Amino acid sequence: MFEGILIGLATAFTLQNIAFVIMGCLVGTFIGMLPGLGPMSAIALMIPIAASLEPSAGIILMAAVYYGAIFGGSTSSILINAPGVASTVATSFDGYPMAKSGKAGKALAIAAYSSFSGGVIAALLLLIAAPYLASVSLSFHSTDYFALMVLGLSAVAAFAGKGEVLKALLMTVVGLMLSTVGTDQTVGVPRFTLGMIDLVDGISFLLLVMATFALSEALMAIIKKVDESKREEERKAAAKLGSMKVSKEEVREMAPVIGRSSVLGFLIGVLPGAGATIASFLAYGTEQRIAGAEKGKLFGKGSVRGLSAPETANNAAATGSFVPLLTLGIPGSGTTAIMLGALIGYGIQPGPRLYIDQPDVFWSVIVSMWLGNIILLVLNLPLIPYIARVLAIPARFLLPLILFFSLIGVYFVSFNTFDIQLMVLFGLCATLLRLLSFSLAPMILGFILGGMMEENLRRALLINNDSWSFLWERNLTLTILLIAAACLFVPMLSPLFGRLRNKTKNAAEAD
Amino acid sequence: MFLTKERIGGLLLLAFCLFYSWKIYDIRMLPFQANQAFTPRSIPQVLAVLGVCLSFLIVIFPSNKERLNLSELNWPLGLAFLALMSVYGLTVRPLGFLFSTSVFLMAGFAFLGERNVVKLALVAIPLVVAFWALMNFGLSVYVAPLPWFLRG
Repeated sequence: MFEGILIGLATAFTLQNIAFVIMGCLVGTFIGMLPGLGPMSAIALMIPIAASLEPSAGIILMAAVYYGAIFGGSTSSILINAPGVASTVATSFDGYPMAKSGKAGKALAIAAYSSFSGGVIAALLLLIAAPYLASVSLSFHSTDYFALMVLGLSAVAAFAGKGEVLKALLMTVVGLMLSTVGTDQTVGVPRFTLGMIDLVDGISFLLLVMATFALSEALMAIIKKVDESKREEERKAAAKLGSMKVSKEEVREMAPVIGRSSVLGFLIGVLPGAGATIASFLAYGTEQRIAGAEKGKLFGKGSVRGLSAPETANNAAATGSFVPLLTLGIPGSGTTAIMLGALIGYGIQPGPRLYIDQPDVFWSVIVSMWLGNIILLVLNLPLIPYIARVLAIPARFLLPLILFFSLIGVYFVSFNTFDIQLMVLFGLCATLLRLLSFSLAPMILGFILGGMMEENLRRALLINNDSWSFLWERNLTLTILLIAAACLFVPMLSPLFGRLRNKTKNAAEAD
Repeated sequence: MFLTKERIGGLLLLAFCLFYSWKIYDIRMLPFQANQAFTPRSIPQVLAVLGVCLSFLIVIFPSNKERLNLSELNWPLGLAFLALMSVYGLTVRPLGFLFSTSVFLMAGFAFLGERNVVKLALVAIPLVVAFWALMNFGLSVYVAPLPWFLRG
């Protein structure tokens, strides 16, 4: 491990990579701060630039953008009560009341220290867990990988919101369907190309991500009628931050919260499909319960604990979601799904072999997480008053620019104008689905895992002489598939059980 | 109350899944694949069944009754932007990056309410030129800046 850390330090601490971390953190904060644009859009917008860099530099840049965007999202949650992403919704519960009472600077500082601590502690846990898990998963066969992909996809159902399970599963299936467009990898037969040569290579991952996130988010902002008077308030809020000093008493109050929320956030982040949103809400709820009656009452009114817990947990979960990505090649969240796509674009196959074949990529990502968190604290916090001015850019200038960067990001990679037309079509569909409350992250997860899943299934069948018996003959495969089945069916059946229990209870009461 | 948000989404995706199912028969099968356990059609067939079943379930058992309120949305503006992007895609190559992008941005700013022509030009043109220079000289990504009739 020590050797690995040295490799990571040597790779991450080059002048070029430090510059990328700084740039990534700043750009990420800038984009994340824009209401409606989250880490996924921020990373998607960075892919064309990252694609022109060497793999470790590209991944370092994207990881830095990821942290920056989460931090930026917290800033807009605190200052204007407009969370850029779901994972910073819990931050606004106490951050915004604190800002409204004239302590915006303090709220931002608490959020920054908590994010920093959560990120650093989780990166330490990642350092310990990832190599161990990678060495264990070296013994995995293609059958196990197939089962793991099924688990990754079914976990979407386990962590979808109440009443959202079917929708999340359907969107995953749609993603899997889109992944089958193009030439079949084994026998070279075209599938679903509709006779178009431009579709023979399949749908570009970057195109799909840009259209479903950056483009559709901008389109949503356009059709939802921008309220310029509200933006005037935002400008005023961004201009007055107040003191950024945190008292000793507040630090003492934050410390145990940070410790607990870091571990909780990391563990939730490791679970495929769970992610930062669940971690932040869970940490908030846990701290509210632990705080006791008196302190618990302050939650929602500007509590230091209420702000610190979700901020720590969402950053720790963001780091935790790299564990399944780096060790198993399975993305733990929508954001890491985009990163997985980018890694595949580099010709790198994440998984246990990454640790052995490309240690520079593996370790530099881990080391860059520390570096990114330090940069966020040292550079971004003092710069917040200036970065917050992005909130003052009029929407009429900002939105066409976002559309332009999304379109040109895809065009500059393929130089095919057909891609722009396809993006417009996907952008329209994605906007419609968003308006109809269908989440698009499961679709991306399905799209990324679809190709790999089919490939592993084919390999497994080839090894087993076209027999499906590997599904139950190999213990590890069977265990993973059973967990996947539990992930899939428990959330689907739990409302039925709930109704049955209520009926029995009502019947007993009537008797 | 039949057409709730979920039901509309479910119906749209059902149509997509049915179209996908229909197109499975366009996938050519090679003669030796007839008796194989796994063919290029296998995964699409499984997905089509799953997709149709799930979208049916969503249409039949929607989890919430929320309806889509179209009056709150500025549809014409959204469609205008989609058309603008499509036109940009058609013109970026023949008219060159600098001209087509400047027009795209100025039209976008104007659609969203900016009426000052000088401001439109002052924001769009320097930004487009700077971006082109950065891509061309900084990242070595070449894109033709001028219209086809001005290229050497």
